[in-house]
Amino acid sequence: MSGYIALFSLCLMGFFILATPPAYSADTFKLKPGARGATCLKCHENFKEILKKGYVHPLLKKGECTGCHVPHTSSHKSLLVADTTKLCYNCHQKVLPEDRRSAHEAVVEGNCTTCHASHGSNNKFILLKSGSELCFDCHKNMSDYLKNVRFKHPSIEKGKGCLNCHNPHASAESDHLLQKKVPALCKECHKTDKLTFKTTHMEYPVVDADCNSCHSPHGSNNRGIVFNVAHADVTKKRCNQCHKEPTSPNALKTKKETTQLCRECHQDMVDQTFNKNRVHWPLVDKVGCLNCHDPHATKEEKLLKGSIVDVCGKCHGDTVELQKWSINNPKNEKLCEPVKKGECTSCHSPHASDNILLFPQQSTGVELCGRCHEWQTHSTHPIGEKIIDPRDKNLTVECISCHKACGTGNNPAMLPFSNTYELCIQCHPERRR
Amino acid sequence: MPPGTEKITEMTKGLTNKICGMIAVTLVSVLFLLVPFSGAAIKFKYITSIYTDDQGVPLKEAEGVACNNQTHLIVADTGNGRLLKYIFKDGTVETGTVEIKPDQLLYPIKTEINSRGEIYIFDRKERRIVRLSPAGEFRGYLQPVGLPSPTGYVPRSFTIDKEDNIYILDILSERVLTLSPDGRYLRHLEFPQGYGFFSDITVDYAGTVLIVDSVKGIVYRAAKLSTGFSPITKNLKEYVRFPASLTSDNRGRIYLVDKNGGSIIILGQDGSFLGRQSSMGWKEGWLNYPAQMCINDKGEIFVADTNNSRVQVFELVE
Repeated sequence: MSGYIALFSLCLMGFFILATPPAYSADTFKLKPGARGATCLKCHENFKEILKKGYVHPLLKKGECTGCHVPHTSSHKSLLVADTTKLCYNCHQKVLPEDRRSAHEAVVEGNCTTCHASHGSNNKFILLKSGSELCFDCHKNMSDYLKNVRFKHPSIEKGKGCLNCHNPHASAESDHLLQKKVPALCKECHKTDKLTFKTTHMEYPVVDADCNSCHSPHGSNNRGIVFNVAHADVTKKRCNQCHKEPTSPNALKTKKETTQLCRECHQDMVDQTFNKNRVHWPLVDKVGCLNCHDPHATKEEKLLKGSIVDVCGKCHGDTVELQKWSINNPKNEKLCEPVKKGECTSCHSPHASDNILLFPQQSTGVELCGRCHEWQTHSTHPIGEKIIDPRDKNLTVECISCHKACGTGNNPAMLPFSNTYELCIQCHPERRR
Repeated sequence: MPPGTEKITEMTKGLTNKICGMIAVTLVSVLFLLVPFSGAAIKFKYITSIYTDDQGVPLKEAEGVACNNQTHLIVADTGNGRLLKYIFKDGTVETGTVEIKPDQLLYPIKTEINSRGEIYIFDRKERRIVRLSPAGEFRGYLQPVGLPSPTGYVPRSFTIDKEDNIYILDILSERVLTLSPDGRYLRHLEFPQGYGFFSDITVDYAGTVLIVDSVKGIVYRAAKLSTGFSPITKNLKEYVRFPASLTSDNRGRIYLVDKNGGSIIILGQDGSFLGRQSSMGWKEGWLNYPAQMCINDKGEIFVADTNNSRVQVFELVE
C-alpha cells in the first residue's frame, strides 16, 4: 500500500513540475548583456536602418527581439514565438473588443501585417503607408469609384482620410467600422441647426434621419453627394409628393402606405403587376415595394437596395448559395451567363407573372432559354411540346428536363446529376451499364 | 434438505437477483435509446400518382391538395384554373371525379375541407378565400366581419381547425386572424418579432397554431389559448431549403413541405427533427417544387407535386 502512495506522490509531483511554467528570472540562463536583442543586431545589420525610421516597434526600440522571436528554434516562420495571426494579440488584445458591432476582416484574421510593418516605418503606428492610400491597396473598388466620381465627400481627402469616419480595427458603435452611428457621426461636421441645412432639406425634420438614405457617404455624381441613382422626386426636392407637408406634426410619415403610395405615380406598372396570376408575395406584405427598392436614392439601378443577387438572396438565400457554389465549381464552363453574373431577373419577373417560378413565359424551357441559347443547335435530342417526358406523362421534354437553371453546385453543365450517364439513364434505363 | 443446499439456494437467489437487475437496467437503457429515435422509423411508402381527371385531361401545375377521413380528395389544378374532387379508396382513385370550375375562382392554390365537407380555396390572383359547397357550388368569398384596426388584410395562406374556425395568415397587418366558421372575428395573434417571411399556417389536433417562416427556416407555435407565438425549432436550413407549407397529423407531428428542396421534413410535436422524405426529381416517388401536402387519419399522404403536374400519394409507415 505504501508503495502505491509513494508512486502516486511521485506522479503528483511530476504533474506539478510539468504543469507549472518555468519562472525564468533574468539570471536563469545567465544571459550576456544584450542577449535579448542588442546581440541580434550584430548579425542583422539591416535593422540599424529600420531603427532610424520615424516609428519603431517599442520592443525593437528597447532591444527586446525576444519579445516576438525565439533565439534558437521555433515551429513558426522567422523564429517567431507564435503564429503570425496570433502573435500580435499576445500584447494587443484590446484591438478587437468583444462587444464590437463590426470588425475589419484583416484584424479578425490576425493579418496585422497587411497594414502594419512589423518592425518600423516612417508612418505613425508603423503603418505601411499613410492615410487613405493604405486602405485603397485593398479597397480598390472604392479607389476607382472615387477617381471617377464628380463630387467627393471632402473628409476623404482631409486629415486622416478614411479614418475621419472609420475605425481601423473595429467599432463597438456601428456597422462598417464607423466611429459612431449615422447621423451622430455626420453631425460632428454638419451643423444641423444652420439655416442652410433646413432649407436644403425643404424644412423637413431630418435631423435624426438616416443620412445614407439619400447621401452616398463617399461621393457621387450628384450635388450634395446624393446617390447616383435617385428617385426623381428626391432630386427635384419634391418630398411632399410622398411625405406629408413639412409643417405637419408627422411630416416624415408618408401620405399612403407602401404599394398604394407607389401606385400614385407608377399606376400602370402596379396595375399590370396586380393583374397577373402570381404577384411576388413581398409586394403585398406590410413593406411592399420597399422590400427591394429604396424610396430615396441608392447606388444600384432601379433604386434597388443592393445588387439583384443580394436583394433576391435576402429571402432566397438557399438559391443564391447554390448559385455561388456553382460559380466556384471548376466544371462550370457551361454555367448560364445570368447565373454567373447573378442576374436573377434575366429569367424571373421580379414583380409578377402568370407562370410558375415567376417565369416571364408560359414555356419553362425552350422559349425562355431560347432567348439566349440557340437550342436548335444543341443536339439531336428530341425536345419540345410533342415530346413526352418518359418519367412523367404530364411533362414534355424541355431544357429544364435535363438542366437546372439556377445552378447545380459541383455538377457539370447545370445537370441535376453528377454526370451525363446518370442523367441519361433516368429516361433510358435500357442503357444502364 | 441435504447439507450445502441452503448455501446453493442463497447463491442461486443472489445470482437470479443480479441477472434480473441487469436485465432491468438493459431494458431501461434500450428504452432510453429507443425513445429519442422513435421518429426515425417514420417513412413514406409510395402508393400511386394522379395525373388526370376522369376525361383524361392532365393536371397542370397543381398547387393545392386537401383530404379528409371520408375518402374525399380535393386537388387545386392551378394551371387549369379548376378544382378536381376525387374519391380515393383502397389506394386508388375511383371513377366519378368531379370537375369544379366556378367563374369566381381564377387561380386556385391552397385548399382545405372543413368538417361539413365544404371546400375553401385560396385564389392567388385575387388573394381571396373562396367558399364552395361540398358539391362545389360557389357560396361566396370569405369576408371577415368585425376586424379590429387595422382592417386591411392580405391573406398569404389559411387553414381550418376541427371546429371549423378559420385562420388567416395576414401578411399585410402581420398577424394571424381567427374567424368563426361564419367569418366573424374571434381573435388575432401578432407575428413574432424579427421574422423573415411567413408562408403557411396550420392548426394541429390540439388547436395549436403553427406557422412557418420560409426565409429563416423556423416553425413557430401558439397554443390554443396563448397570446403569442414562440419558436419550436432553431433555423432548420440544415435540413430544409425553403419550407413553403406545413401540416400536421393526428399525433401532432409536423410535416414541412420543402419547395426548393423537393422533399418533406417530418418534425416531432416539440420541433425535433424526425426525418426527411423524398427528394428532388421527376420519377414517381420524387418531388419537384411540391406546394401542399395533406394527411388523413388513415395515414394516407397526398402531395401536390406542382412542377411535375401531378398529385402523389404515399402511405405513412411507422
